[in-house]
Amino acid sequence: MTTITAHTPVATMTGRRSFVRRNLPYLLIAPSVIMLLVLIAYPLLFALRSSFYFWNLQIGPEPQAFVGFDNYVQALNAFDFQAALTNTLLLSFVGTALEFALGLSIALILLRALPGMNVVRALLILPTTIAPIVVGFLFRYLYDPGGGLLTWVLTSIGIPIPAVGLLGSPSTALAAVLFADIWQWTPFFAIVLYASLLSVPEEIIEAARLDRASAWTILMRIKLPLIKRTAIIIVMLRFMQLFNTFDTVLVLTRGGPGTSTRTLGYSLYEQGLINFNIGLVSAMTWITVLIVNIIVALYVFFAFRNEEW
Amino acid sequence: MPSAKSSLYTILTYAAGLLFLAVFIGPILWFIALALRPPETAFAMPPQFTFTPTLNAFRHILVDPGTNAPQLVNSLVVAIGAVLLNLPFSIPAAYALSRFKLRGKKNIMLWYLGLLMAPPIAFLIPYFVLMNRIGLTGSYLSMVLVLQTMTIPFSVWLMKSFIDEVPAELEEAARMDGARWYTIMWRITLPIVRPGIIVTSMFAFVFAWNNAAFPLVLSARSTATLPVGTLGYFATSGVTWNYIAAAAVVAMIPPMIIFLVFDRYVVRGLTFGSVKG
Repeated sequence: MTTITAHTPVATMTGRRSFVRRNLPYLLIAPSVIMLLVLIAYPLLFALRSSFYFWNLQIGPEPQAFVGFDNYVQALNAFDFQAALTNTLLLSFVGTALEFALGLSIALILLRALPGMNVVRALLILPTTIAPIVVGFLFRYLYDPGGGLLTWVLTSIGIPIPAVGLLGSPSTALAAVLFADIWQWTPFFAIVLYASLLSVPEEIIEAARLDRASAWTILMRIKLPLIKRTAIIIVMLRFMQLFNTFDTVLVLTRGGPGTSTRTLGYSLYEQGLINFNIGLVSAMTWITVLIVNIIVALYVFFAFRNEEW
Repeated sequence: MPSAKSSLYTILTYAAGLLFLAVFIGPILWFIALALRPPETAFAMPPQFTFTPTLNAFRHILVDPGTNAPQLVNSLVVAIGAVLLNLPFSIPAAYALSRFKLRGKKNIMLWYLGLLMAPPIAFLIPYFVLMNRIGLTGSYLSMVLVLQTMTIPFSVWLMKSFIDEVPAELEEAARMDGARWYTIMWRITLPIVRPGIIVTSMFAFVFAWNNAAFPLVLSARSTATLPVGTLGYFATSGVTWNYIAAAAVVAMIPPMIIFLVFDRYVVRGLTFGSVKG
């Protein structure tokens, strides 16, 4: 790719035109950056200010009292917020890892490129296209303790289901929520990893085979390192989406039973839009933002350290 | 001559293919069946795989009384609005990031990427209070605006990858003929990347269409989008499951069609252009 410098000297330029000339790339980027800054800075600053106040919207439209760091202390000490934090981290790490592993396995099978498998590949992506809220409904139907297809299948093959259903029992609810997410997003990993593995040059793999490298060695030492950049991006993307899990939980369990499927996203929703506790929810927002930023910053730093742009 | 080992591999591969379809497509078909089956068979035990299909549920949600018909329109307005508003912001930015040498390009790109990954859920409550204050709660504009936090960074990344592919020589030739940068951008580069802009818009549309969190908080009854509308059936149970499924099936159709039609670009769309696919 050739880059064109914006510094083409033109002898007859007027002051204004030369300003535009010199800063052209920045001027082209500016509208989007300003728009995004406004859309992001406002909520963050608003939440920062509100987080130091006691403010319940049901009591009044303005903050009721300055309370310092009380909201933060309250959030961090609240049992349900701690549960939400644990559940969210668990969902994010376990979900991303399982989806990556399953997706990679499927991708390797798709790579066998037999006639007709193209149809499988094209259809496989469909779960990923569905709105998470709809996936929530779909799985609520499948999990129904009375007449759900999945309940029936599992019972038929001799796996006991809690009488209250998979979503109703504290011991299975989080796994059931996770399973719905795995169903929706494993195809995403499969399709993307398949496409990037296709681009690994055949000669390199052939050369390794001649050196009697095993299929496992070829995968770990050649294929995966070559698609590292893709893997880094999709893992991070998926991790953050899982960290935001909210729609599916809202439909499937409303965070229950107890706090067993409560996620940060659901906690924020509940405190903000059901309890209207703006002060507390703002503190929770900032705790979330800090955690996310630390994770993303570390990840981006290590993952893109050696990248050329 | 295929060896016994390789034909066993072939059989296993096809068996795996069928298993993938059963696991990943089966539930979707089962949910579509829910929208089409007589309500009393919805939770039959054992499940009823055969039934006389009926369009009653679709008639109920779209025509008579047509509870979800306005929501379908709202979903279209919000998603199309979000895509249209994003273009004048993202096209110039993508062009600049692709074509010009500029300081901090990597950081700017990563900043957009970071925004794509930022938890929208953290912003829900502040947006809710803000839109209340400026009197935009319940308006299409509030949803379209807030969706820009997703559509702009997404489009910048994906469109940059398309502009990167346009040979710079074409622009160089025009520059030699004395064309100015905006003439070059408008008359040469953008027409060439038009397919890329369409692909970008289609996937941005899907993201906006599937987003439920923002409309859940910002929409009013009259501007509720389809995913939010399906939540409305939630209060009751039993027979309304057919309506939920019918509304959900309608909500599923546009993204599915876009993904199947733009099959070639799916990987690219899902990875913001970082994987060519």
